[in-house]
Amino acid sequence: MNKTMLGYVPKESPIYAVHPFVKLYFLLIVSLFPMFVAAPEWNFLLLVFILALMVISRVDIRIVRIYIPVAISMGSIILISYTILGGRHPEFQVIFNLFGLPIYWERVRDAMVVYFRILPMIATMVFFLSTSRERDIIVAMRTIRLPFVVTYVFAMALRSAGMVLEDFQIVRQAEQARGFDPTGKPLTYKIRKYIMYMIPLFALSLRRSEEFTNALVARGYAFTGEASHVKRADYVLTHYTFKTHDAIFTTLITLAFIALLIARYGLHYFSLDHSWFIQWLHAVLS
Amino acid sequence: MSAIIEIRDYTWQYLNTEKPALEAINVDIYEGEFVGIIGPNGAGKTTLALSMDGLIPGQYHGVKQGTVKVMGKEVDDYPRGQLQRQVGVVFSDPEAQFTAMTVEDELVFGLENQGLSITEIHERLEWVTELTALKPLLPKPPYEISGGQKQRVALAAVLAMMPKVMVLDEPTSMLDPISRKRIFEVLGRLKREQHNTVIVIEHSLENLIPLADCMILLSEGKVALQAATREFFQRIAFLLEKGVYPPEAMQFFYHLMQNGWYNGDLPLTLDEAAAKLETILMPHHSTR
Repeated sequence: MNKTMLGYVPKESPIYAVHPFVKLYFLLIVSLFPMFVAAPEWNFLLLVFILALMVISRVDIRIVRIYIPVAISMGSIILISYTILGGRHPEFQVIFNLFGLPIYWERVRDAMVVYFRILPMIATMVFFLSTSRERDIIVAMRTIRLPFVVTYVFAMALRSAGMVLEDFQIVRQAEQARGFDPTGKPLTYKIRKYIMYMIPLFALSLRRSEEFTNALVARGYAFTGEASHVKRADYVLTHYTFKTHDAIFTTLITLAFIALLIARYGLHYFSLDHSWFIQWLHAVLS
Repeated sequence: MSAIIEIRDYTWQYLNTEKPALEAINVDIYEGEFVGIIGPNGAGKTTLALSMDGLIPGQYHGVKQGTVKVMGKEVDDYPRGQLQRQVGVVFSDPEAQFTAMTVEDELVFGLENQGLSITEIHERLEWVTELTALKPLLPKPPYEISGGQKQRVALAAVLAMMPKVMVLDEPTSMLDPISRKRIFEVLGRLKREQHNTVIVIEHSLENLIPLADCMILLSEGKVALQAATREFFQRIAFLLEKGVYPPEAMQFFYHLMQNGWYNGDLPLTLDEAAAKLETILMPHHSTR
């Protein structure tokens, strides 16, 4: 099993035959698809397609289960925001009243549209994180010749996220060892005492920064001066070859995006007017 | 022969501190020498290591007097980033030294900074992973391996850059005895096969003494004693007075000496002590 940012994928997974750039390109482009598709059924199809890709890539699909409560909460929040907290709109169609509050069809419809746009976006991100390591992002960025500093800062941002969590554990354990333990205390107490964690965390991060700068300098990295102008060989890229199938995938993703734009704005597909799901929902709620 | 590192009347005081961290230091280190630096906490060992790598005064604020020359050139006169390609430093906390997402990236980071070609990087990587037995760890993230492996990665990352001088600041302070031994095995191979100039700041004297050509004792920011290793440890009374505790075999012979039962040189290693003891106890039946 190979560790990824969100779990483990078997070494035999076909996803390893795909260049990291293709994975990142897929994430960036396919995440945009739902923005141009209003009809929820199409976005739902995209969600199914991404889940199928996860199965093909031999991602442990049980990982999706942990997102179900998140998806339900998110859906509820969107629905409440659009309906109960959506304000009064006399021009909209009232489908029923909830404790005296009018619930409008248009607001329910918009909530569904937004929700089904977000779901495939999240699934795309989960697919990417489940099949990629931090290094893949760096490789993808370097493949398109982004400046080293940009890719490096990005890599360190990823790394520092883990370090902050580790430091937080250290601080928490140290404070528990000294008798400070807010476990079981009211939330207001925890919020008030959060500063007890923040100050040592801040001090630790300053120390980390200093150590990290020293490590960079000690490895011969120079931010300025003559040494900073050295032409870097990108050794990590030698492990990755952009093969014919990668070019085909990249082309297919690009063509799919172009086709989507033409279908949406040229042929007016994927709009709410053509959505059978919306029509069915309207019929049910009306 | 001129010294590869030449420190003259060197004093360094960090900003907002009451007294210098290092004061009137005079040290010469020659090419190919293996130097051990010891001393109690707060003696200025790390400051000395950082001074030899140019991280002081480069990365720290303070007041400097005297000179620190590496390969005949004052550290301040090296262009930014150049000295660190000649003098490699391994710090005590391996976690704090990692700059990349995998062990392999970590090892090649310094080589890329040096502007080496892909072929050269590959050759160096092969060499250093063989030397430090890190090949199976190459694809792993450096923060997911054990403490001993982390320190070997940190050491290998510096080694791969093939610096003329290597400074190791308490490289085994966070390691268990087995990992500690493995680090010193690598250092032993370096001494035997590569003839690098190696400066090790270390508390684990049992591992350091067999490799060190000479020793420096720092105490309260000053050089309290500097001599060839054997000569250095003959001044055991002075070392004990300064809070340095030599290996127990050596202390045992010192006790024998104090009681008038032994009057030779103090043994440096356990094997040497065993041989001497055998000679004392069975002078006519010694197998050695």
